[in-house]
Amino acid sequence: MTLTPQRQVSAEQRQPQTEPYRGPKRFGAGAYPWVMAGAVAVSVCGAALSLNGVLRGWAWYLPVLTTVVVVSLAMALLRTVRAQPVLVPLGGLASLVLILTFTFFRRDSFAWFIPSDKTPAALGRLLRRASETVLAESSPVAPNAGIVLVTCAALGLVVILVDALALPLGMPATSGLGLLAVLVVPAMIKPQSVGLAGFLGAAAGYLVILACSQWFAPDARTQADTARNPGQVKRAALTGSVALVGTLLLQLVIPGFDQGTFPQGSRLNPWGSSNGLNPMISLGNSLRSPSGDGRITYATNATAPLYLRSVTVDRFDGESWSPDDRDSTRRAGPGRMDVGHQILAPEQVRQITAVNTGDFTSPYLPAPYAPEAVNGLTGRWSWDPATLSIKGTDTNSRNQQYLVVSSSPKLTTELLNESSAPVQGVPEEFIRPPANLPEIVRTTADSVTQNSGTAYAKAMAIQRYLRAGDFTYSLQSPVQGGYDGNGLSVLADFLTQKSGYCIHFASAMAVMARVEGIPSRIAVGYAPGRLTGATVSVAGQGALPEFEVDARDAHAWPELYFQGLGWVPFEPTPSRGWVPPYAQDPSSGGTSTNDGNNDGLVPSGGPTPPPATETPALPLPGTGEADAGSQPTPLLFGAAAALVLVLVAASPRLVRGSIRARRLRRPASGRNGQDAVPLAWSELLDLAADYGVPPVASETPRNFSARLRSAPALNTDDGGVPQGAASAGTASTGGADTGIIDAGRRAVTALTSDFERHQYGRPDAGESEWNGARDQNTGNQTPAQQIALVRKALHRNAGLMARLRADWLPPSVMSRWGWIAGTPFRAVRGVAARVRRAVAGLWNKARDGVRRLREG
Amino acid sequence: MEPHRRTAINEVLQSGHGFAGGAAHSGHQLNGHKPTALDAVAFRAASERILTAINTVIDGKAEAAKLALTVLLAQGHLLLEDVPGVGKTLLAKTLARTIDCSVSRIQFTPDLLPSDVTGVSIYNQSSRQFEFRPGAVFANIVIGDEINRASAKTQSALLECMEEHQVTVDGHSYGLAAPFMVVATQNPIEMEGTYPLPEAQRDRFMARISMGYPDKDSEIEMLETHQATSPLERVTAVVTSADVAAMIATVQQVFVSQSVKEYTVAVGRATRDSAMLRLGASPRSMLQLLRAAKATAALDGRDFVLPDDVVAVAESVLAHRIILDRKAASTGETPQSVIRGVLAKLPVSQETADSAKAHRQPAGSGQPAPRTGRQAPELRHSR
Repeated sequence: MTLTPQRQVSAEQRQPQTEPYRGPKRFGAGAYPWVMAGAVAVSVCGAALSLNGVLRGWAWYLPVLTTVVVVSLAMALLRTVRAQPVLVPLGGLASLVLILTFTFFRRDSFAWFIPSDKTPAALGRLLRRASETVLAESSPVAPNAGIVLVTCAALGLVVILVDALALPLGMPATSGLGLLAVLVVPAMIKPQSVGLAGFLGAAAGYLVILACSQWFAPDARTQADTARNPGQVKRAALTGSVALVGTLLLQLVIPGFDQGTFPQGSRLNPWGSSNGLNPMISLGNSLRSPSGDGRITYATNATAPLYLRSVTVDRFDGESWSPDDRDSTRRAGPGRMDVGHQILAPEQVRQITAVNTGDFTSPYLPAPYAPEAVNGLTGRWSWDPATLSIKGTDTNSRNQQYLVVSSSPKLTTELLNESSAPVQGVPEEFIRPPANLPEIVRTTADSVTQNSGTAYAKAMAIQRYLRAGDFTYSLQSPVQGGYDGNGLSVLADFLTQKSGYCIHFASAMAVMARVEGIPSRIAVGYAPGRLTGATVSVAGQGALPEFEVDARDAHAWPELYFQGLGWVPFEPTPSRGWVPPYAQDPSSGGTSTNDGNNDGLVPSGGPTPPPATETPALPLPGTGEADAGSQPTPLLFGAAAALVLVLVAASPRLVRGSIRARRLRRPASGRNGQDAVPLAWSELLDLAADYGVPPVASETPRNFSARLRSAPALNTDDGGVPQGAASAGTASTGGADTGIIDAGRRAVTALTSDFERHQYGRPDAGESEWNGARDQNTGNQTPAQQIALVRKALHRNAGLMARLRADWLPPSVMSRWGWIAGTPFRAVRGVAARVRRAVAGLWNKARDGVRRLREG
Repeated sequence: MEPHRRTAINEVLQSGHGFAGGAAHSGHQLNGHKPTALDAVAFRAASERILTAINTVIDGKAEAAKLALTVLLAQGHLLLEDVPGVGKTLLAKTLARTIDCSVSRIQFTPDLLPSDVTGVSIYNQSSRQFEFRPGAVFANIVIGDEINRASAKTQSALLECMEEHQVTVDGHSYGLAAPFMVVATQNPIEMEGTYPLPEAQRDRFMARISMGYPDKDSEIEMLETHQATSPLERVTAVVTSADVAAMIATVQQVFVSQSVKEYTVAVGRATRDSAMLRLGASPRSMLQLLRAAKATAALDGRDFVLPDDVVAVAESVLAHRIILDRKAASTGETPQSVIRGVLAKLPVSQETADSAKAHRQPAGSGQPAPRTGRQAPELRHSR
């Protein structure tokens, strides 16, 4: 009936109303979704920059970019055509599926885009590949299709999450959570943490989101706040510095912040350093860990310093090297082992070593080379005849005490020089040079060995080359140079940069030896340890001195095969380990090469404090939980679980806040300001419910308002309504409080009359005497400001518990959830009642029928 | 009360104005120039003058006075029901006196005839024509004292006038004066020899007021002021009947929103569904309820009706129309208490944003809301 004039009025009011809320730049009404989508895409792409280093190289970035852009554009498009708000994330999800299908499963789909029945199989394949990568490798992992698929999917979901937080929920500040979720991954995994590019990218994107939402949908509350709080900058600075100091101090107090130090960022690492399937890749992390965990003690009767070897790497193909397990040829029972080839050396040295692994956890057992028998193990173990690495089939090295009998030929320079016979009986994989060998490796190898005739001379030349002054030992430079890890490309980088640590030296020597025709492999284990000063009595040997090694002694060295002598270890790494006499350069005479085995482990600051000697070092919390397979996966799950927990705990507050924000946000895109009133009224109802004055269904707005104003929540303790003279006497509550509460009550009154007029009044009413005199104090305030006043008054007047409840478990949200949770029960009850009625009716009918039959 | 025989007393308290005996005049007045609505200030001033005047006469009965004025402005009829001696007639008389309009009073007795009320055609010897002699009902305010003492026939004659606002005698229809209000009084205690109004006829009265006893202070004050002279003497008219017509026009223009209409209908349906009532409120009573609510809103200084206005008058408007179930009556319920219970359970639609949005959504624009706000969590608290 009166709809038509009303419509005209609202259309007229629309223009002048919305004009002031537009940003300084006048985009068209349709630009908002696009700009916001752009902001979200920029922020997520920026945050994704930090994943470089978790994933190797940049090849993965293009698919990520397309995914992020496509998903955000799809959602912007849906917004532009004004789809239902709920459809927008769903559309984003659908576009994510489409683009992922297009990128990864083009062959297994209909028309390149639509997943077909073959797609799940392909998806499973890729996911398996991704999980294998996550399990088997450490950062930076090779960007294979599986990993990139997972990354793209995760980032696409992050786009949807950030978008949902920033736009429909109206919490642009909270949308940083989504970006944080991206940053957490490199922060937990990468040794150099998030990195500058990633941080700057994420921060810039986040600022763009904030700015765009401020330009296009300004929050009424922030506007009101800036007007009333001139000290905001000071407060922000204070908050920021307190937070900074807190993060710097807390990491000193909380155990577990053991990865990295301040400039790089100290990170919580509750899962301990991983020492898992592939010791190659955890080696760098072990070496860099400031505290040595995974302490192993051993006692030996060997005269020379003892290397503990746990695994070898012999395949130099592929993106990332890992131990070749040769599971099929492993033999059970390390009680009797055999090197498998003939040793022609005149003298064998037999050593007995008692090892206690403590909390060192790995599937491989550290043992001196070459083990003949290992006794005293618990669990089932197997050994590889080709490499003599000992691996648990159903157990790991944690808390093992065992006795290793090992023997090796007593090697001399002469013996090695004589051993020039062609190599026989060594498996092909130790001989074959890697296929895709970088050119620099071959040229270096050739130039280094050009004057050497025998295999031994070549080996010595390579070792000399690597130990010479050109190369420096550094744990950090590979990280900074981006070639931390292993593989042929890393090797090429290392030879160019001439700086790295044991893994680089060892692999350089091993690969170059192979290039020169010497069978080689890389042994991974521990460099000789330190004396603890204690002694261990070993059966048949008496008291033997005890040594200890820990993560910082992790080491890799090359083993070269000489016919008739077997595998001979060399030591190309300068300042680490111990160069055996046979490998010492005749010229230098081994004078200064056997320096202390800790040198260079500590970056720059003084000697490492010696670990406690008598008792084993206190295991860090959580280190014990590190399992054989502990790799980034549990890390990710843990982070996700923590995030979920935090979100669950904060969710009532978040939900309440988002509801409030949505209600109080000024209608920016062209609705007249009248709609603010009923939204503010809903907010007032919920606010009252939160502070213990729940609205009653049969109450009129006026009654509710009167009840709220007379409730204890809006009255000071002295009972009386503190107005005028009454408030003069309430010195205890303070004039400010009374004033605030008074203002709150006035705001309630104003809101009530506004709402009544809006809800029940003429839709086209202008200002007339009938509309009553507005309160001068509250008349010019927006509904959002009035709500803010009411909230302040309620908050000020409430006790601590009431405040906490209203903030963290707001009854308005909880009861709504309770109602939603009860829906199935109510439905069941309704159905049951209906069934009961139906059955009763049927029964009556049947009874009547029977009675009629009997009578009739 | 001593039996009267033909003691219809037509007291024209205010003579010389307003009362034009002819139907034609009245009809003219009603249709000719429509009274214009007042603005808020004038309306408030007029209503305050009336209420102040009444309150100087009747102590401590501001509520009843206001309700009486509400009924007058809502163009309804008022039934005053209470024990003798609490000022029913005084209230009626005072209300009539404050307004400069024609007032007639009928004392109902068992032998009162319908023609005494409506009027009669009498053969005029000189003009040799039947002339219509208007009855007591031709006045702006008609006070019907002890309406339940008249026979059913007479009662229904009056009640017909109330509903139709016209009198039909010998095939001629005569319209009644423009503000037209019947204030009837009734004694609920002394029921012997009375003809209680049947439900259908009670339904014609917009509201029933029980005066109730005044409180102690008011009673003492009454003893002082009413000792020497009747305070009624001092009352002079404070508004004209034209003013009242304008006020009535104002009330008619009070806006009723859809949700208030829905609430009013919900109240009626709830009384019909109530298990404690044998007879719920009729649709006509809904109409009158809303009219009374409009007058209440106007008296409260608003040009739109709130649910509160409906609640405020619901008891007075509905209580005399509904009939209690026997079981409910035996448990001590009264119509008033039942209505209060019904209102306490009836949800007031406080649905705000979304319903308002739906309600106000321009139907032709064909596009949903441009903002991306969710619809779902705006749940109602009414359940």
